[in-house]
Amino acid sequence: MTVVEATGVSKQYGPLTAIDQLSLHIDEHKLIGLVGRNGAGKSTLLKLIAGFIKPSAGTIKVFGATPFNNLMVSAQTILIYDRLPFVPSLTIEECLEIMGQFYANWDHELARKLCHYFELNFKADPARLSKGQQNTFYTILGIATRSPLTLLDEPTLGMDKAVRTDIYRLILKDYLHHPRTLIISSHLIGEMADLLEEIILIDRGKLLVHQPVDELSQAVIRLQGSQAILDPLLNRFEVFEQHELGKGTVSLVIKNELSQSMINHLKSKQVKISPLALDEVCVYLTKNSRGGIDDVFKDNWPVQ
Amino acid sequence: MTIDPDGTKPIYIQIAEWLETEILAGHIQADEKVYSQYQLADMFNINPATAAKGLKLLAEQNILYKKRGLGMFVSGQAYDIIRQRRKNETLLDLARSLLTEATRLGLHEQELIDLIKSLYRQQQNEQKGGEPHDRRGGHGGE
Repeated sequence: MTVVEATGVSKQYGPLTAIDQLSLHIDEHKLIGLVGRNGAGKSTLLKLIAGFIKPSAGTIKVFGATPFNNLMVSAQTILIYDRLPFVPSLTIEECLEIMGQFYANWDHELARKLCHYFELNFKADPARLSKGQQNTFYTILGIATRSPLTLLDEPTLGMDKAVRTDIYRLILKDYLHHPRTLIISSHLIGEMADLLEEIILIDRGKLLVHQPVDELSQAVIRLQGSQAILDPLLNRFEVFEQHELGKGTVSLVIKNELSQSMINHLKSKQVKISPLALDEVCVYLTKNSRGGIDDVFKDNWPVQ
Repeated sequence: MTIDPDGTKPIYIQIAEWLETEILAGHIQADEKVYSQYQLADMFNINPATAAKGLKLLAEQNILYKKRGLGMFVSGQAYDIIRQRRKNETLLDLARSLLTEATRLGLHEQELIDLIKSLYRQQQNEQKGGEPHDRRGGHGGE
């Protein structure tokens, strides 16, 4: 079953194009990572799907209906982000009670157990928690709601490593018991890679790739070998990075469009072919065309 | 299909290899049910679709077979298929790497053979009194 269908969706904020003619198709019961650089449009996309905002152009359907101002869609969707609009003065315990009144699948027992595990004080005001604890609390809300469509926008912001590891495990565990569609945006996609089935990578408001994780992991590769062997590749494939390593040896990062016979040929010439981590792949695919940070300093700041 | 034996293998292949090793060790016998994609996902902290892909890979090689509504089971030929393929592919690749390094170090043929012989004897001695090396006797139904 299709959960999200976006067709040519754009969102304009004054002069800024946050989402640019984006089309997307999301099937049910998938655990998906949403990745992109700062300002790529991740949060805007999630808000469009949740029906918080209206597209400037194009159509978006969630559970077959337009999500904006739609009760059927809101009842089945939750969007968790770091500025949830709870009434100030409410305690954690009171927030949990309220969630149960709004969401049909809410698991109160699970929410209480998780708050206890993460040592969140039931009498505390969520607004006064540290950033990491606040996001832990919000993620607990997002998971215990068990919405058929659960959207988590940067859930791990401010969390320490130990808490993040627990949060990933908690998301997976609950997903295994209660399959549903989960979209999680994060800058720490490397940490989450094993958890995910698919990745949506957006760049400057456009959809760059929507692929199974293991396919995307192989989309970019690093080659190391003799310059004479690797030079002919330079104008045949998209090159993201090249530098020299000692005498006559180069290291290239290229888009992996190598045929099997090409791979065999390179291996026979002692070229080392290695895969990159998923987060590195995403960085290369969204690299801007203005070179690297060194180019900014190139003319003005020679180091003596 | 791995890009490079030195690099990290895709998780679904690692899952398939782990199951193969379990079968080789006799921990899962012929016609016994293997772990479901959800159990594997929980055990290895991975997405269940990735685990399913590992199971599918083994089913395509007739190492596992499917019983409708019951799950995946180890086939009667599983042990032989895995052993044969690992011998022809994995072991041969390892031997090639060994040979490349030995050549780089300027080792003579006899030195290399002596090295392997002494390692082999060492391992045999360590295993004496422990579990028998070949557990095929434990496989039923043949």
